[in-house]
Amino acid sequence: MARSLEGFLVLIVAALVYSSAVASVFQPISDSHRSVALELFTPLEGSFSSLAETYEALRTFEVLGIDKKTDINTAACQSVLETLGSSSSALKDLFYALKVNGILKCEIKKDVFEGVTSSLQATVSSAGALLDFYYSVGGLVIIKDQTSKDDLYLADAEGVFGSIKALSQSDGRWRYNSNNPESSTFAAGLALQALADVVSLSSSEIDQSLIGATKNDILKLFDSIEKYDDGTFYFDEKLVDTHEHQGPLSTTSSVVRGLTAFAAVTSGSLNLPSGKILGLARFLLGIGIPGDAKDLFNQVDSLASLESNLVAIPLILSLPATVLSLTKKDSVKVKVNTVLGSNAPPLTVKLVGVFRSGSKDTSLVEGQELKFNPESAVYALDALPKSVDVGKYTFVFEMVLHDPDHLNLYATGGQTQIPIFVTGLVKVDSAEIAVLDSDLGSTETKKIDLSGENTVSLSANHLQKLRLSFQLSTSLGHAFKPHQAILKLTHESKVEHSFVVGSSGKHFLGLVEKFFYLSGKYNVQLTVGDAVMENSFLKAIGHLDLDLPEPPEKAAQPPPQLLDQKLRYGPKAEITHIFRVPEKLPPKELSHAFLGLTLLPLLGFLIGLLHLGVNLKNFPSSSVPAMFAVLFHLGIAAVLLLYALFWLKWDLFTTLKALGFLGAFLMFVGHRILSHLASISSKLKSA
Amino acid sequence: MSPPHRVNPQPLSLSPRQPKDPTTTEMARSNFSVLTILSVILLLPVLSLSFSPDSPSDRRLLVLFDDLSLQSSHSIFFNSLKSRGFDLDFKLADDPKLALQRYGQYLYDGLILFSPSIERFGGALDLAAVLDFVDSGHDLIIAADSSASDLIKSVATECGVDFDEDPSALVIDHRSYAVVGIEGDHTLIAADDFIESDVLLGENKIEAPVLFKGIAHSLNAANNLVLKVLSASPAAYSANPSSKLSSPPSLTGSTISLVSVVQARNNARIMITGSLDLFSNRFFRSSVQKAGSPKRYDKSGNEQFVAELSKWVFHERGHLKAVNLRHNKAGETDEPAMYRIKDDLDFSVEIYEWSGKSWEPYVANDVQVQFYMMSPYVLKTLSNDKKGLYHTSFKVPDVYGVFQFKVEYNRLGYTSLLLSKQIPVRPFKHNEYERFITAAFPYYGASFTMMAGFFIFSFVYLYHK
Repeated sequence: MARSLEGFLVLIVAALVYSSAVASVFQPISDSHRSVALELFTPLEGSFSSLAETYEALRTFEVLGIDKKTDINTAACQSVLETLGSSSSALKDLFYALKVNGILKCEIKKDVFEGVTSSLQATVSSAGALLDFYYSVGGLVIIKDQTSKDDLYLADAEGVFGSIKALSQSDGRWRYNSNNPESSTFAAGLALQALADVVSLSSSEIDQSLIGATKNDILKLFDSIEKYDDGTFYFDEKLVDTHEHQGPLSTTSSVVRGLTAFAAVTSGSLNLPSGKILGLARFLLGIGIPGDAKDLFNQVDSLASLESNLVAIPLILSLPATVLSLTKKDSVKVKVNTVLGSNAPPLTVKLVGVFRSGSKDTSLVEGQELKFNPESAVYALDALPKSVDVGKYTFVFEMVLHDPDHLNLYATGGQTQIPIFVTGLVKVDSAEIAVLDSDLGSTETKKIDLSGENTVSLSANHLQKLRLSFQLSTSLGHAFKPHQAILKLTHESKVEHSFVVGSSGKHFLGLVEKFFYLSGKYNVQLTVGDAVMENSFLKAIGHLDLDLPEPPEKAAQPPPQLLDQKLRYGPKAEITHIFRVPEKLPPKELSHAFLGLTLLPLLGFLIGLLHLGVNLKNFPSSSVPAMFAVLFHLGIAAVLLLYALFWLKWDLFTTLKALGFLGAFLMFVGHRILSHLASISSKLKSA
Repeated sequence: MSPPHRVNPQPLSLSPRQPKDPTTTEMARSNFSVLTILSVILLLPVLSLSFSPDSPSDRRLLVLFDDLSLQSSHSIFFNSLKSRGFDLDFKLADDPKLALQRYGQYLYDGLILFSPSIERFGGALDLAAVLDFVDSGHDLIIAADSSASDLIKSVATECGVDFDEDPSALVIDHRSYAVVGIEGDHTLIAADDFIESDVLLGENKIEAPVLFKGIAHSLNAANNLVLKVLSASPAAYSANPSSKLSSPPSLTGSTISLVSVVQARNNARIMITGSLDLFSNRFFRSSVQKAGSPKRYDKSGNEQFVAELSKWVFHERGHLKAVNLRHNKAGETDEPAMYRIKDDLDFSVEIYEWSGKSWEPYVANDVQVQFYMMSPYVLKTLSNDKKGLYHTSFKVPDVYGVFQFKVEYNRLGYTSLLLSKQIPVRPFKHNEYERFITAAFPYYGASFTMMAGFFIFSFVYLYHK
């Protein structure tokens, strides 16, 4: 019994996962699309670069309800007239000119249309390539709409239908022309559009077998649809073609346009699963707001064709907020819109179930109906179910259409699962930090207040344990386990250690290596946080003095820490060179005083000479010796002067040279005067 | 990793990337024409490849995607680059024709890797090619996200940044998350812990927080070229939001870097972030309110942050050049071949910053010159005339030997300037000492009175009777 029940549960879960594995919330087109559209489609000097671009801009503005026609009108109409009037215009330009005209309604004379019609009809009958069919038939349809010419028919509609159909492949994709074997999903979209146009231009009923074959092609095409995990579907080109690669967005939008156009002109159901249409809508919405003009056009245009298609109109269930606060008493609000954001037909939104995410237990609530507020077009649940506590949930919604006829018209996608975060305040109680000697005895237990400031100071050694405990409880009184409960110890050297709070106390013995044997002061910091906890906190608790043993020789070094950027990049301190101190010299006055003193002996000498009564009576009286005496003393004076010159400016060599001459001269005159004096004195002695 | 660096082939040249001022090289050209031609030939590949101020308008960037739809979802960023004159080349990262260089010439000046999940680049591109690209002075932007592949992570590791190894981990912050009605798991971070640097983030303060959703990285402490530009708050951690934490997260708090930059020694600049969405139109346009703060900003700070930082990365700001390093004796104008100790000298150098369009005078009050022989003997801050000319004067120290004038300018975010010029200093010649010392006057007096006395005495001795 138990086993079978288990199997049953698994089945339910599997079914739920399959039915709508919605992980993301899709929002319909909103005002932000409009502002971006205005930004992206800004004409350069009043006109766009090409008619195709003009059409894309106009079509996007039209769908989004932006009135910008007047700005573009004149330049665009001018270009339309030129293109339609010229006989040499390319087919593609003609097509886009007609499309632009379809929106702008430029004033075009009847005979211009006549000319274009006949040239397009000629092209249709001679065409062989898919794009030729697409542009020419498409152009004719627009002319028919604009000129309300009911007699505009294709001569051989069935034949044209047949030749387009002949390009189709067995897998539902189309070839661009019969020569090119490569088939493309993008081309399939164009072909479906062209076929739809052919049908609307046909004067008689197209053969049902051809229509049926095309419907079959569409079904085959949908077999190749691709899928994301969140329930979105899209088309992509299998072959990454070389020159004109179309991304998933343009491929998908081409198929969506073709499909809706084809469904609009043919009778009978296409038998496409509405879930896939909804998935395509989700894919187009899931892109968000494209930043590229072409992408925006593709998104908006294909969503517009989904908005009123005959296969299934997707309804998008969205929540303005998936984060609901218990403290603010938020209520569950749901909006149901079409893809372009207009209101849905009358329907009821039911909350089928609420599941705790990650657990497989049964729903917390019975099915509940949401109240509709017609003014704001919001479905709301007045209060969250009583049993819903803070946490992550999956809410399962279901849309029930009131009118049974609508069932085939709209795609609601069955049940929609939406992840909901219910947030609230979490109470923190009985927080304490303790250092334990062993498993039992505790030496220091300190109560801490995790709502205020704490400056606990603890000390421990490597044989002790640290225990931090606190209780978290939700407003409903349930114990709460946060995702983030991290205790961080930061050493003075900025080495950090984080611990997940939850396991038992930390034993420092096992951690000494992790701490790199760094004793000293550690700052203790506790972070508690959770996605659903409104009062997540980061608290400094205080500090812990750790006394760890000396590291052994081979202990790992603490990892290097990042350098302070200011240290590395700041200017350096200035350096001025300290010059060698010059030797200490006496003050000038002292030197001058001693200079005076050194003059004194000379003065004394002169005064002494005067006292002694010095005379020069021995000076030779005769002229020749007197001349030698004068020369001798001039020589002495010259030598002394030479000394002075040597001191003042001359170098040794100049001085010695001069002294050599002077010395010889002095020797000669000295010898003469001295021998003269000697002879006089010897005469005196002998006399 | 050892950060990329290139040995500067000319010790006296500022950097081979920078064009020389014609006036300064005029003389040198005539004297060393052979040498110049030779060095030009050697440097030609370097000159033509990297940041070239002569042709800033044709800077080419290669942008690699996993998925071409990013071109549309991140178009605001690309359009802002285009409007600043960049030539962008968008390619799929597995494009088989991918190549950064052809015939030894680099085809691009910068690389933007917006392809987080690529396991192997297409064509000739691989890890070594990306690193060579950076090693030759080119710029790089790497954006990863939760799908980051080993290849992208190893490129980042080579640049000095380590992404969290846990592939399912995201940056979670329960305190400074962005308040959005439909994002409940607090992985959308509103970060406002910016680096304080005008050169990196522009002069206008970024008011609104920057939205970040992605993976954490930390800086390699051994690499001192990498900088944290945007760091997470102290309460942040890197973990898988949908599974229970069993072991402590490897990265917590402000250790987590959200956006980092590297400026290599060759002035190649790299920006690394763990969030590709940071650049997206959705984040650019999104309004932002940080949890716990009452203020709601209409627009997130992402656009300003990314624009300013990309200006830095692509050298539109913070790129300096120094020219005309000159010195002369006080009162003279010619540069001497040698100084004597205790000479007074004037020193000047001109520094300019590249503004994206032209070289503008760089104004700062912290440029310093060193008079250097094994260690700085004089280190002096230069004063400037607000027109780019920096000058100072000082006395040559009383130590002789071969000195260098050195300008080492390393400021956060700026390219580093390393200039040096060698100059010998000689001692006094014998005749350059002081000639008449006052303290010796008594000796002079004694000698000369002695000589005068002798002269007089010679008369007295010879002719006295």
